[in-house]
Amino acid sequence: MFLTAEFSDAPSVGAAIGALKACGFDAAQMDVFSTEPVELPEGLLERPSHMSLAAVVGAASLGVLAILFVRYTQYDYPLITGGMPLFSWWATGVIFYEFTMFGAIFTTFATFLVESGLLERHHAIPAPVLLAGRIHVRVCCDAGRAVTAMECLQRTGAVNVVES
Amino acid sequence: MGTTVEMRGDGLRSALWRPLNGFSRAYLLALAVAFLVGAWGLSCWGYQIVRGIGVAGIRRPTMWGFYLVNFVFWIGISHAGTLISAILRLTDAGWRKPVTRAAEAITVFALIIGAAFPIIHLGRPLLFFWLLPYPNSRLLWPNFRSPLMWDVTAISTYLTGSVIYLYLPMIPDLAELAQHATGWRLRLYRLLSLGWTGSDRQWHSLERAMKMMAGTILAVAVSVHTVVAWDFAMAVAPMWHSTIYGPYFVAGAIFSGIAALVVAMSVIRKVLHLENYLQPVHFENLGKLLLLMSLLWVYFTVNEHLTAWYGNSPAEMGVFGERVRGRFAPYFWFMVFCNFVLPFVLLSIRRLRSVATITIAGFAVLIGMWIERFLIILPTLSRPHLPAAAGFYTPTWVEISITASTFAAMVMFYLIFCKLFPIIAVWEYKHVSHG
Repeated sequence: MFLTAEFSDAPSVGAAIGALKACGFDAAQMDVFSTEPVELPEGLLERPSHMSLAAVVGAASLGVLAILFVRYTQYDYPLITGGMPLFSWWATGVIFYEFTMFGAIFTTFATFLVESGLLERHHAIPAPVLLAGRIHVRVCCDAGRAVTAMECLQRTGAVNVVES
Repeated sequence: MGTTVEMRGDGLRSALWRPLNGFSRAYLLALAVAFLVGAWGLSCWGYQIVRGIGVAGIRRPTMWGFYLVNFVFWIGISHAGTLISAILRLTDAGWRKPVTRAAEAITVFALIIGAAFPIIHLGRPLLFFWLLPYPNSRLLWPNFRSPLMWDVTAISTYLTGSVIYLYLPMIPDLAELAQHATGWRLRLYRLLSLGWTGSDRQWHSLERAMKMMAGTILAVAVSVHTVVAWDFAMAVAPMWHSTIYGPYFVAGAIFSGIAALVVAMSVIRKVLHLENYLQPVHFENLGKLLLLMSLLWVYFTVNEHLTAWYGNSPAEMGVFGERVRGRFAPYFWFMVFCNFVLPFVLLSIRRLRSVATITIAGFAVLIGMWIERFLIILPTLSRPHLPAAAGFYTPTWVEISITASTFAAMVMFYLIFCKLFPIIAVWEYKHVSHG
């Protein structure tokens, strides 16, 4: 089951998350919904990400593919180069650089879509309707711990707690 | 027909979403004029396709004319957004927040317009596909060693990155708009917001992606104008074959980009009544950046010309003379006035600095930078190494019409964008006001 609590400011949200964690709830069980990013104390609600790694891997992959492709094309139809090498790093370096950057851009965007969950078309649990200035904290818990979670939320200033 | 955005919520949202509703008479007039001029330019391009590239004024030896001037100019303007926005985002400059989206939109539109010019210049635009790498019937691949192919890859990468960079921070705004819109706007915003719920996972991903995109796009933006500079610098032509052309072009691009941003902001501030959000402090800060870039521009220009003059090579002196005391001299000195004298006076004297004077300086820089691109291309081509091959270039009405239409296209794209999407990111503005 899910408990969704409504707060009016970021410090109360921080306190609620801290209280829930103290009661044994894990960060993965909590979600914060808001119309603007909520600044919480560092480390309070960590979200692991592989975006940087994915961008580097994407950049390197497309860069290497570009090198292999350009090399293939230069030998596939050898142009007259006047004795100069058919495949030249100097003359094609710009192409490799741009493809490497394209790889980084594309992978960053793709990872954003995956990590933010925007590609999940059917959300099992509907998100709360957002209103400007309101912050919602949603906790996933079993029925046995609902009372504890409810207490934590109400104690830290939730104006409204609903069950879904 | 329900196609409105209901203005609910706080005053900030009401103010920033208000321009999305209704059409003022001035807006419709501006859109109609821009559309007519744009349509005229398109028909001129059609005329050029039917009659051939001969209707343009490009003749031997000046095989590059207005089209390539416009190409370099618009690619330069495109540095307004992404580059400025990325620098300000990475340095965490809080004042950037009302400015970034206006700037990023300029980038995308300017790139689209700029990238069209090499195709217009082809004469037979349908043959553009020869630049695309695919196994074709002639078993030929594009020549990846050619700077033309460098341009294609650099601009494609920059355009893709800029569109994503503009789109990403729009997603939360679009999701909020979808809650308040009706009719086709509702469908549009819902489609583009991708089901954004505003969860902290999404905010974390967005902020992380924006930081990474800012770093990447910065590297791409610098490379794009460097590659455009290398179109010239790789040719052993007088006054082109220069090692400083890369940074010279990048500095000029940022300079003209800031100028375009100042002018665009000034217009939307007035037309959309955003005086409370685009405040004098934003213009003041952009004015200081403009002044800095003006000084950098004059430094590069002196470097470029002093080196050529001191070297005293006959071919370079021919071009140098044409620029500073020959047929192109009036343009050259007017460019110096627009790019340095006027901005320096208006922006360095504190008492003279205001929204109006900063806008005037920005407008002057736009004119000056267009002339600068003209002066980079035409004098060199008019005075090649072989004196007997010298010639002159006069643009035709077709080229002038197409040039005018691109400015109209920019205005039209911008006007339409302002009606479809909030020109100031609501969540970013709100975020900074909390911070």
